[in-house]
Amino acid sequence: MVKDNIIHATDRNGVTVARICAEAILNEDQVRAFGQALLALADVPGRRVILNFLGVHHLTSLALGGLIRLHKRLAESGGELCLADIDPRIWEIFTITRLDRLFRIFDREEEAVAALLAEGRAGA
Amino acid sequence: MPPSLPKEGRGPSVPSRPTETHDAAGWIEEVLPTRLTAIRESERRVLARLAALGYGEDHCFAVRLAFEEALINAMKHGNRMDPSRQVRLAYRVSPERVEICVADEGAGFRPDCVPDPTVDENLQRPCGRGVMLMRSYMDEVIYSANGTEVHMVKYRANPVRGFPESGRRC
Repeated sequence: MVKDNIIHATDRNGVTVARICAEAILNEDQVRAFGQALLALADVPGRRVILNFLGVHHLTSLALGGLIRLHKRLAESGGELCLADIDPRIWEIFTITRLDRLFRIFDREEEAVAALLAEGRAGA
Repeated sequence: MPPSLPKEGRGPSVPSRPTETHDAAGWIEEVLPTRLTAIRESERRVLARLAALGYGEDHCFAVRLAFEEALINAMKHGNRMDPSRQVRLAYRVSPERVEICVADEGAGFRPDCVPDPTVDENLQRPCGRGVMLMRSYMDEVIYSANGTEVHMVKYRANPVRGFPESGRRC
């Protein structure tokens, strides 16, 4: 289990579920901590990460940049980033920016876990 | 158009905290240091005015997002996070509309030349979405000729993109 001020990550049968522990990410410390915490998730090559947005009600382009960097880093090592439990207003930001085409997004964390575990079994 | 925001000198005049003045036309002007933490204080004051006038949650979300993106752009891309530079903010909130004006001390830019972040070749670029979000959530976004100042308006009568007004208050 990895826990810091802004990301709380747990392992579920080889899938990393990370919850964001902030309502909004704006100030320097938050942006820096968020970016560092996200990139730390990519330290393990091939890691499959589900980022749970439950409780996140606001997002800026700075946080979007952090998500894109994590997505790229994970993809380069054979891993994957999925997003889940996104507030409808945050979802709108993803659709406006078309990042819903870049990220794999699930309605609920459980759906994402089930999908990744099933894919893991199929690929084994 | 908003009041022209005068550029002041750099150096010791840069405040460590936002400073606030009012004028007869209802504009409230603030001078912010180039520090992202300074945004939150000003944001609270703006959103408190929307709440006092009974604006809905969706309008508050839209204004908050555009407000933050404009100030982030001014500090990060305009002032290059240079602490010797400042950002000048003016806002006016009426029952009919919210107006926000932000000016930085950078070299300026041409907003029409910002690459479209939604096309496939730019989708993985981590930057370049702030202006797009401002334009998506506000009804008017007008830049000065040199790109160092932006004026945004959100009308209460216009719904927020993607959200039929919920009626809930912020």
